[in-house]
Amino acid sequence: MAFIEIRNLFKRFKNVVAVNHIELEVNKGEMLTLLGPSGCGKTTTLRCIAGLEKPEEGDIVIDSKPMLSEGFVHPSKRGIGMVFQNYAVWPHMKVYKNIVYGLRLQRLSKKSVKERALEVLELVGLKGLEERYPAQLSGGQQQRVALARALVRNPKVLLLDEPLSNLDAKLREKMRFEIKSLVRRMGITAVYVTHDQAEAMVISDRIAVMNSGRVVQVGTPEDIYGRPANRFVADFIGTMNFLAGEVVRVLQDDAHAVYVRTEFGETMLCRTPHSMATTPGEKVYASIRPEDVEVFAAPPQSRENLVRGTIVHKAYLGNFLFIFVSVNGNLIRVQVPHHLPQEEGQELYLVLDPQKCMILS
Amino acid sequence: MTRGNILLATLLWSVIAFLVVYPLSILVVESFKIAETGTWGISNYLEFFEDAYYLKIFGNTLVLSTLVLLSTTIFGVPLSYILARYRHWGKTVFTALILLPIVLPAYAGVFAFIIFFGKYGTVNLLLMEMGLIKTPINFIYGLHGLVCIQTLHMLPFIALSLSAGFTNIDPSFEEAAEVEGASGFWRFFTVTLPLCTPSYLAGAVIVFLWPFTDWLTPLILGQVDYLPSIAYINIAYHFTDMHRKYMGIVAVVVSSAVCIILFLLAKWWVERKKYTGLSKGTTSEGRVIEPGPLIKVGSYVYMVCIAILVLLIPAVLGLAAFSRRWVFEPFPTYWTLDNFRLILLETPLLIKNSFVFSGVALFFGIAFGLPAAYLIVRTRVPGKDALDFVITLMLAFPGMAVGVSYLLAFWQAIPLATHWVIMPLALFARRLPYFLRMAHSSYLQLDISLEEASEVSGAGKLRTFLNISLPLLLKGVLVGVVMFFIMAFQEISTAIFLYRGGWETLPIGIYLNWHRGMEFGIAAAMAFLMIVVTFILLLIISRIGGGVLKAAWGPGGT
Ligand SMILES: Nc1ncnc2c1ncn2[C@@H]1O[C@H](COP(=O)(O)OP(=O)(O)OP(=O)(O)O)[C@@H](O)[C@H]1O
Ligand SMILES: [Mg+2]
Repeated sequence: MAFIEIRNLFKRFKNVVAVNHIELEVNKGEMLTLLGPSGCGKTTTLRCIAGLEKPEEGDIVIDSKPMLSEGFVHPSKRGIGMVFQNYAVWPHMKVYKNIVYGLRLQRLSKKSVKERALEVLELVGLKGLEERYPAQLSGGQQQRVALARALVRNPKVLLLDEPLSNLDAKLREKMRFEIKSLVRRMGITAVYVTHDQAEAMVISDRIAVMNSGRVVQVGTPEDIYGRPANRFVADFIGTMNFLAGEVVRVLQDDAHAVYVRTEFGETMLCRTPHSMATTPGEKVYASIRPEDVEVFAAPPQSRENLVRGTIVHKAYLGNFLFIFVSVNGNLIRVQVPHHLPQEEGQELYLVLDPQKCMILS
Repeated sequence: MTRGNILLATLLWSVIAFLVVYPLSILVVESFKIAETGTWGISNYLEFFEDAYYLKIFGNTLVLSTLVLLSTTIFGVPLSYILARYRHWGKTVFTALILLPIVLPAYAGVFAFIIFFGKYGTVNLLLMEMGLIKTPINFIYGLHGLVCIQTLHMLPFIALSLSAGFTNIDPSFEEAAEVEGASGFWRFFTVTLPLCTPSYLAGAVIVFLWPFTDWLTPLILGQVDYLPSIAYINIAYHFTDMHRKYMGIVAVVVSSAVCIILFLLAKWWVERKKYTGLSKGTTSEGRVIEPGPLIKVGSYVYMVCIAILVLLIPAVLGLAAFSRRWVFEPFPTYWTLDNFRLILLETPLLIKNSFVFSGVALFFGIAFGLPAAYLIVRTRVPGKDALDFVITLMLAFPGMAVGVSYLLAFWQAIPLATHWVIMPLALFARRLPYFLRMAHSSYLQLDISLEEASEVSGAGKLRTFLNISLPLLLKGVLVGVVMFFIMAFQEISTAIFLYRGGWETLPIGIYLNWHRGMEFGIAAAMAFLMIVVTFILLLIISRIGGGVLKAAWGPGGT
């Protein structure tokens, strides 16, 4: 059984529905990320798990213990650690006091409190800063204090709400790996909230993509990227070209091979193995990622999904080129890993690899 | 740093030098004058601090201050928590009622309490009628009564600053404590309250200083052994006994020094301690919670009790105002408009004086305050911080110090005190910070780019001020204007030293009527009239925007 179970969770603020009947499971020792655009209800979901919000409906079970249905369990009794988006490091206490605050509430000897605190300080790399006030720390250090404070009591569950969003880009990347390895090592079950898809990909074992109060898809980073459940997920994670069209034929012998008539005027073959089942006449989007489009100067021999287009714009992004190609007036984004001799305004041929081309609704 | 700004700064500084620095220095200088010989020396101070009587008085005042602070804190902490955190019906009404004493003159409260809780006041008479007691209970004559009355008067200052503190704490600080396993009281005492100390202190210092300023309440209650009261008696009653006069001046200087020092200490500490908010990314308007039924009922009862005590003041004064011969009866039996006839028809001078003096003072206040606010917020003229500092300091100066110093300074060398203009001038000097703070804080909220856009479009500084800044500042400035007027209207501590026959204002009329005889009716009617005027002005403020008021009076508004 899952370690955290969220059952039919519903939470509204006056007339805004923030969380709309969510079902979600988090397995023991895994890091699950709630990912979604701003305002989709990630923070609210996390706060419901922490007990900082009281949902109107549903239940949350942590380690087989219901938090709501058998009486509301106060946040202080849930055995969780939480890292707040703004850290919430108490400005009137020194680092050490901040960290041992929760330990002091347990009946522990002074000595073991100190030992545990030093252990955690060492773990997050804050040794020697115990006697500082938060105002004397950098943003990154404050972030570590918040992390240490959340970890010090060996919580069953660690909740993190965009813990890295206030850090600069370099530090953010470094901390991603640190948090991940730390949580792995300690074997804590963690729920991580972010709206940064790259961060989610790096840090999570599984990702739950949310949109306007609902969970749209749950899966490993590879699942979410490679097999998005719908257009929203595909668009939110990475970049995707959507070609609006209509299904014209589904091959009888091979259910995964579907022909779609698109705005390009051409019929496209989509044969990704996990495509959703469709019937002819259905309005769908043939979708392909920019890196799955191949580029040719001259038309290659007998390839499926071959189209001709004009380069509208070339964008140099350092490690690769991003080109915008107009095909019959529709723009398609293509990522090319190397130098491209053609200039803007010139023609080229594109092959939309049928194996990578998927059908989304 | 343009020439115009420097000119303006010079002008404002001359006004301050003439109306604040000069008279207050004269006050200090005079306190070193030795009555017997007419020479100068520190013997007055030596005597003050060696005389067991003055030391006792000093000690009394400290004790009173401590007790008032203690009781306002004990009552204020739950009150502010209720106001700031619980979601309940009638929040605005209760907040308004509880803050009311800020604008009610202190002496109005004393009179009301004497009538209601006095030896043969309503409560005692009722209790005796019911046969519960034989002899009257002494509710108010004594230290306990002083503490009660001053607590009621000062409670709003604590409530205002603490509830601002409770509201402004980033909710995640408390949530983090709850997640860490702390709940209820433990969280409150380890996280919430410590985070509020800076805002608490801002209010606490005002409360603590009040007994060093308030000479009238002890006097009316017949308790004169406090520093300001003894100073008043020495100066006002014994003007011919030069020695007592100088001891009185020393007492004024000592209490002013206490006020200034404590005020500065608190200001310094608050600014050092103010926890810079790192809060980002939370959608909350502070933490407002739905209390459980028990707590809800409890907090209503609590708020209603305090609100009743506050409302007692206008209610009792109203009863007294519309009646005569209200003695030895729990409630008046003879109803009449005589009191008002006397005030309005036979001596309308007092009302006229009050309006004229406050109005002229207000005119000075605006003419000085707006340019001063501009100078302090928007320019880098040297000395502008010092200007701000001196004006803010006037908040802490006892009114008596201003009155006495004007009397000393504008008598012989500059005989201004023989012209009625001294009255509005003194009111202006005393109440200036009230207007300036308001103008100042609305100026701070005015985005400078709006003004810059006007200058880029080719408007000069003055035109920009008139066309852009002033209309945008108007709301805050209007609230400041009304606030200033209310405070000037009820001013007595300064005016009592400066008035001459024909210059009496309403507050002075109240005082004199009480002083001359035991007929409360006229004094009560005057106080009631003042409360009515104040109410109307308050109504105007709340129409303009009570939020502005709160923003400017919250801690750290300067
Ligand atoms: N205390 C509140 N009162 C009213 N509405 C709220 C409150 N908290 C959240 N909401 C609303 O609920 C919805 C979900 O908010 P939530 O904070 O969970 O979003 P989020 O996914 O965390 O967004 P972000 O990425 O911007 O942090 C939003 O529409 C928000 O405006
Ligand atoms: Mg959020």
